[in-house]
Amino acid sequence: MGEKKSDEIVGYRQQPGKLPFSKPGSGGSNRFSEPRNQKRIPESMGGELEQPWGDHRHDDLVSGTVIGKPTALIDSSWKVTGQAKYGDDIRLPGEVIGRILRSPHHYARVLSIDVSKALELPGVLGISTGSDAPKTFGVLPVTKDEHAMAVDRVRHVGDLVACVAAIDESTAREACRLIDVEYEILDSIHDIKMGLENSENPIHDRGKYHIGESNVQKRVFQQFGNIAEMKSSAVASHDNDWTFNGVNHGFTEPHAVVAHWDPSGRLTVYTPQQVPHYLHRALADVLDVPMHQINVHRTFVGGGFGGKSDPFPHEMCAAILARKTGKPVRITFDREEVFWVNRGRHPSKIAMSLHADSQGRLCGIETDALIDGGAFASFGHVTTYYNGVLHTAPYEIGAFHYTGARVWTNKPASGAMRGHGAVNSRCAVETAIDDISEKLEVDPIDFRLANLLPPHSATITGFRVTSIGMRECLERVKKESGWNEKFRKMPLGKGIGIGCGFFISGSGLPIHWDPNKFPHATVHLKIDMDGGVTIHTGAADIGQGSDTVVAQSVAEVLGLPLDMIRVRSRESDTSPVDLGSYSSRVTFMNANAAISAAMEIRNELLEATSEITGASIEGLVIGDRRIFDKRDPAIGVSYLEALHKAQEDKGALVSSGSYRTPPMGRAHKGAAAGLAPAYSFSAYVAEVDVDVETGQTKVEKVWAAHDCGKALNPLAVEGQIIGSCHMGMGQVLSEEMKYGRTGHLLNPDLLDYKIPTVHEMPEVIPIIVESNDPEGPFGAKEAGEGPLLPILPAVVNAVYDAIGVRVSELPITPDRLFKVIEKKCRTEGISDPLDLSSPTLKHSDLQTVLERRAREHAERDIERRLSPEPTPYHNGALFGLDPEVPGDEQDSRWAAVVIPPSDYLENPGLAGSAWKHVERRHRGDGT
Amino acid sequence: MIPGPDKVKWHARVNDQEVSFPIESNAILLDVLRDQGGSLGTKRGCDMGTCGCCSVMVNGTPKLSCLVLAQEAIGSEITTVEGLSSGHYLHPIQRTFAECGGSQCGFCTPGFLVVSAALLNENPSPSDQEIKTAIEGNLCRCTGYQQIVDSIREASEILKSGRHIDDSTSSKSDPHPGFKE
Repeated sequence: MGEKKSDEIVGYRQQPGKLPFSKPGSGGSNRFSEPRNQKRIPESMGGELEQPWGDHRHDDLVSGTVIGKPTALIDSSWKVTGQAKYGDDIRLPGEVIGRILRSPHHYARVLSIDVSKALELPGVLGISTGSDAPKTFGVLPVTKDEHAMAVDRVRHVGDLVACVAAIDESTAREACRLIDVEYEILDSIHDIKMGLENSENPIHDRGKYHIGESNVQKRVFQQFGNIAEMKSSAVASHDNDWTFNGVNHGFTEPHAVVAHWDPSGRLTVYTPQQVPHYLHRALADVLDVPMHQINVHRTFVGGGFGGKSDPFPHEMCAAILARKTGKPVRITFDREEVFWVNRGRHPSKIAMSLHADSQGRLCGIETDALIDGGAFASFGHVTTYYNGVLHTAPYEIGAFHYTGARVWTNKPASGAMRGHGAVNSRCAVETAIDDISEKLEVDPIDFRLANLLPPHSATITGFRVTSIGMRECLERVKKESGWNEKFRKMPLGKGIGIGCGFFISGSGLPIHWDPNKFPHATVHLKIDMDGGVTIHTGAADIGQGSDTVVAQSVAEVLGLPLDMIRVRSRESDTSPVDLGSYSSRVTFMNANAAISAAMEIRNELLEATSEITGASIEGLVIGDRRIFDKRDPAIGVSYLEALHKAQEDKGALVSSGSYRTPPMGRAHKGAAAGLAPAYSFSAYVAEVDVDVETGQTKVEKVWAAHDCGKALNPLAVEGQIIGSCHMGMGQVLSEEMKYGRTGHLLNPDLLDYKIPTVHEMPEVIPIIVESNDPEGPFGAKEAGEGPLLPILPAVVNAVYDAIGVRVSELPITPDRLFKVIEKKCRTEGISDPLDLSSPTLKHSDLQTVLERRAREHAERDIERRLSPEPTPYHNGALFGLDPEVPGDEQDSRWAAVVIPPSDYLENPGLAGSAWKHVERRHRGDGT
Repeated sequence: MIPGPDKVKWHARVNDQEVSFPIESNAILLDVLRDQGGSLGTKRGCDMGTCGCCSVMVNGTPKLSCLVLAQEAIGSEITTVEGLSSGHYLHPIQRTFAECGGSQCGFCTPGFLVVSAALLNENPSPSDQEIKTAIEGNLCRCTGYQQIVDSIREASEILKSGRHIDDSTSSKSDPHPGFKE
């Protein structure tokens, strides 16, 4: 950067003589506004910013200031100086320490709790048990199955039994030891398959909705298209029975909470939460006070990844103890307790069958997913759907058959974790496509390129796909990784593999339906005479940078530098309701709400400018702190002048903007699960090095292309991509929650739970693809969860390329992989693994057919994405159906079936066997 | 009840300030720093030396404060994350962690900052391999480490160039960027 000469004038000056003295509130060191940078102004608005994906409804709001520039998180100064206050850093005067007594048994009835000895201990201020808060709660209204503390039963080791408030930690621990609990031990369930059977004491009782007398919490059956007919046309099929072990989020900050009832009788709860609003509701229910009596204060959140997105029992405990003792109560978990709360990815058994026909089309997907929910429902209803519906794209498919079931077991509850419900089944699908391509003797990337859904299409389940950058993702990673020179051409032990991903960008429907038609996200703005903008948003910044992206959106629309924006997002007292940081909804919904709030202010500023200058509003544009006529930039006013004019007679400018998803989707049961206003797409290529003699796998390099619509903050998007690779690599290579033979969790600590360190991380080349989503803010879609999906199958496929074996259990630890290598050596009669051969490249005639189809589809896609009114395109056109009409409306055999037909139940899949049970209400025997 | 610990007098120089107060004889340095020493920036992540969030410099060497008995550190010179900056003038490593994406949720950041500041004190121009070796004891769940390595490399460049970091309290943007001499 060159030095600026002192007499050089940068940017616009006001016309000399017009403004002899400075306005109130001015006086910053950055005096001169930058001229509008034409390279950042879209072509559609007369600038030079190329728009290969067409224009966007927000183009006229682009001022060229901050959107699309790598931007440091606006709260990073707090983080790097140690000033950021996380849960355990909230220290209120007079605080006391809370501690939780946890169950030592997997499953037991609590017969009695005697706290008398503990209460006598000096320094103990209060003890609470389940009877103090008998009301249930849970993140989903349909499955409220958690209590603050055990009411009649404990359901897993670590389940909450009682809680103690004491003057210090050691007294609280000692008091927990002195509480006498009498248990009647019940038979516990640990094997996921056992959860399907009838049980004498099901872990929960759902009343008339209980499924048989089993531990099945949720079951899903979905069939779209005629799977039997499609299967009969298949020329290549893949079947694999997968075992995915459970993984934990592994965020660095253990849960912590501080609760305090202030002198007016209002409760403030300080907690690192991804979903402050759901906690707000749950607290009101459990404590039996109205919501307005509670202020939920989100502290800095030391990593969430879905692990802090439930209302938690310990948060209730802190509030109950604080009420009881009259003092602020702080509860902080140790790492072991984090594993007892868990909510990590479901351990799953997934049977994947994939079929391709002679044209190289994906004529059928059959998935059977049995997932282990642990002791509570959490987000389980949704997870059960997501395991199926989130792999119905980005490919056009002939038929889709899904059976899913989630069962309760006596383990810490599974829940939402980055890539919620999509990760395991996506791994199974993508490795299946790799295998099918091998069987058809075609290139797996070309196979994918020839089977993609086009932009503005509907999936087989009726999801509305708008922008889709899948093709570009595949083409970029293929080119940049040197795929054609490497795939099936490297020596034994070296391999390269591809995997793709598809993920929701926000959930189409909110979790709570009341009040009816409430928006998903709301943002308030306030600008007073100083010119700084205060943003009130309830979006939970959990480190992903949501505060920053909301600030950027407002700054962009108003043409202001980021240092003039401040975000207030912590307290429910001052922020509008936002549903929280989950389902990759925050940027999409919150930035959209912020933009519409900023548009109101923008209009007021334009009107004021027009009044001052006499220029017409239509000709006015906003640049860096200056509003001017685009035909004659000398005619204009500074931001502050316009603001003060607009504030005449009414003072501070305030505005509110909100976002709600448009009506979408079909009407079948479960149609809303997986429905989103936009979807992200990604494709990764991973290069691995496998030591065939030890089974050790090292990922050397990853090319990671992700279609995030538009990178509002490329620095954060790249951080999300690389971080997703890290988390996915952990699951595919080393991380697993291990349960011993008696069902006890063996590794509830970070020594034995193996999170990759810096040495295990490969070089990741993040590639951002911008498909310019029509509904996204400035074109943006999600980048937080989708990027995790492709890394697992990419690594698994690369391992096959390296040594010619396919695994069916994750993580691929050396012992597991070596067993597979040994088996292969035995079947091939080889004594030394080094004599194994890795697969070689073969191309059949189908390869040219697919390449041609991919080229044709590429042209079709460009035409469709640039068309102002694209014609409807429904999944099934590739199979000869009319693209303009949904498959089920033109051919009854394509109809959606959501209740299993009786012939299916004669020979169901593993999870499908959950449908053998009859719900109590349908049994008609009075039970 | 287990017999309680004795009280002992503890003193050290924490972030260039002499501090002295009674502690329990079995206290861990991390607890003393957080609960009594005023360093809530030093984080507790695992309690068993696996995550590195609690790293502090003891006499210039990075240590896991959750594995140090407070009494062992009596009389020593301790630098926590709060001691890296000089007033509101940030240490280059603090600035680059913000600007290069080295800090996302920020919980592991204090530990990373302390070990990388110690590295740069010892070795102002570390290679990427040396950087990775220095931070191998620290876990980060957000960034995948790549932007952390970038941040440390960038900080080394700033240190070598002798460029100073701007005063964070200096005047910010003028909302009325008019003509003023």
